[in-house]
Amino acid sequence: MEKSEILSQVTEIFRDVLDNEEIVLADTTTANDIEEWDSLSHIQLIVAIEKDFKIKFTSAEILSWKNVGEMIDNISKKLA
Amino acid sequence: MEFNSINFFLFFVAFFVIYHIFYKRCKIQNWILLIFSYLFYGIADLKMIPVIAVMTIMTYFLGLKIEDFVQKDDKKANRFAMFSAVLCLLPLLYFKYFNFFIDSFAQLFSALGFNTEISTFQILMPLGISFFTFRLVSYVLEINRRKMSAERDFVAFAAYVAFFPCIMAGPIDRPNKFLPQLKTVRKTDYSFLTEGVKMFVWGWFTKVCIADRMGEYVDAVFNNYQDYGALSIGIATLLYPLQMYADFSGYSNMAIGIGRLAGLEVAENFRRPFFAQNVAEYWRRWHISLTGWLTDYVFMPLNIKFRDLGNLGLILAVVINLVTVGFWHGANWTFGFFGLFHGLLFIPLILSGKMNKKTKITWLGGWLISPKNLLKMGLTYLLVATALLFFRSESMSAAFSTIAQCFTGLGSMCNVGGKKIFLFSLMILLAKDYLDEGKFKFSILKTEKPLWLDLQLIALIIFIVIFRGDAVKEFIYMQF
Repeated sequence: MEKSEILSQVTEIFRDVLDNEEIVLADTTTANDIEEWDSLSHIQLIVAIEKDFKIKFTSAEILSWKNVGEMIDNISKKLA
Repeated sequence: MEFNSINFFLFFVAFFVIYHIFYKRCKIQNWILLIFSYLFYGIADLKMIPVIAVMTIMTYFLGLKIEDFVQKDDKKANRFAMFSAVLCLLPLLYFKYFNFFIDSFAQLFSALGFNTEISTFQILMPLGISFFTFRLVSYVLEINRRKMSAERDFVAFAAYVAFFPCIMAGPIDRPNKFLPQLKTVRKTDYSFLTEGVKMFVWGWFTKVCIADRMGEYVDAVFNNYQDYGALSIGIATLLYPLQMYADFSGYSNMAIGIGRLAGLEVAENFRRPFFAQNVAEYWRRWHISLTGWLTDYVFMPLNIKFRDLGNLGLILAVVINLVTVGFWHGANWTFGFFGLFHGLLFIPLILSGKMNKKTKITWLGGWLISPKNLLKMGLTYLLVATALLFFRSESMSAAFSTIAQCFTGLGSMCNVGGKKIFLFSLMILLAKDYLDEGKFKFSILKTEKPLWLDLQLIALIIFIVIFRGDAVKEFIYMQF
């Protein structure tokens, strides 16, 4: 799966979980850029992504992401 | 050496002059910061210098090693980072909790009918160990999370760990925010420095005119609760959160002010906590540097671990996190209960989806808080005050006896001096918070005038000099 495809699928998940259709994700996007993205919705996003892509992250992986780009890289690695 | 003592004033003047002579020479300034920090710590307790020195050296090398692993092998890096964090925590566990564990096990075994002859011994806890240990743990974990690189400059790292304004009682600065400041030219713009002076004076005011004065009443009642009834105990219970706030935010503001005078930004610790509309919001406003630390290193990993359990997982993560907050204050079941009490108060908020929901105060006519908001603030305050009654008590049985004493009748009113001073000063504190919370144009201590023409500041200093207590009293959070 191409990274651009993953990004658009993840964007849909963000819009759905955070209930905001205007969200546009880029590799550099962080929680500071999206008001609804806090510590609790972060976990909901992870659960939704894991379910959608049928993958499982480790705690260390989740805690090391600095932005959306690193999250996408991680998903891409799992799908490869 | 208390911030509000003459000795500290002399110490700080010497530091300030020498430090700023070397403006723009960061490395020399870091040396000066380090030497004065160790001097400050050594004056408080010379015997404990080796503890902080050894821990600093050890963590410096652990950081380099973790970074090495991070570049080669993630799994090894994770394991080594966990090992390093435990190693950093060991002295804290020994000095703060060793006797508590031994006593608790002895009590458990004797309750089960086993004869135990385990004896504990006196352990002196190094001052500030709870605070500098958390700085060290944060450092190793942030490197492993790739949020920062290991620091090569040992002097800058050691100055971060021992930074004297914050070593005794925080705020707990994060390495990725603080260390970069030590690598660049210090801020010396006029408004940054004068804001530091104002924050120091404001902290000094809340400490000596409110916390110390109020403490006389609160101590007189809680230390002799058998002599009082519902009236005095009720008033002391309601006053104690305000005393804690005036004392601890006073210390924090003084530390932030001193930090600014050294050209450094220190982490925020309080954001008008008694305007919180629920307990979850209260914890986002109270002791922010500690709750932020625990959110990142306790709550988030637990919440991630329990993520498939839904709300139950979230409740577990919150309760464990808050019990940890409680026990962080000391090895006593009263602190554990304090944390558990708060944890349980989160459950309705989690189940109703309000835990992280931002609350908004409605201002009637632009300047008056709506009755609904006031009611929520009042209820939150009462819950916080109840939890703090346990926090303040020496043991669980003393806490319950204090509560039971309220049912013996109204009792007499505790008579200690200085009530008018602390009540008047308290009104100033609450007025300042009210104005700041409402984002009004006028705010106490936020004038653009030069310091020597700032009438509010001058009036405050005169007030402090006249009405401060006779003795220099220790800050409450020094004991933690």
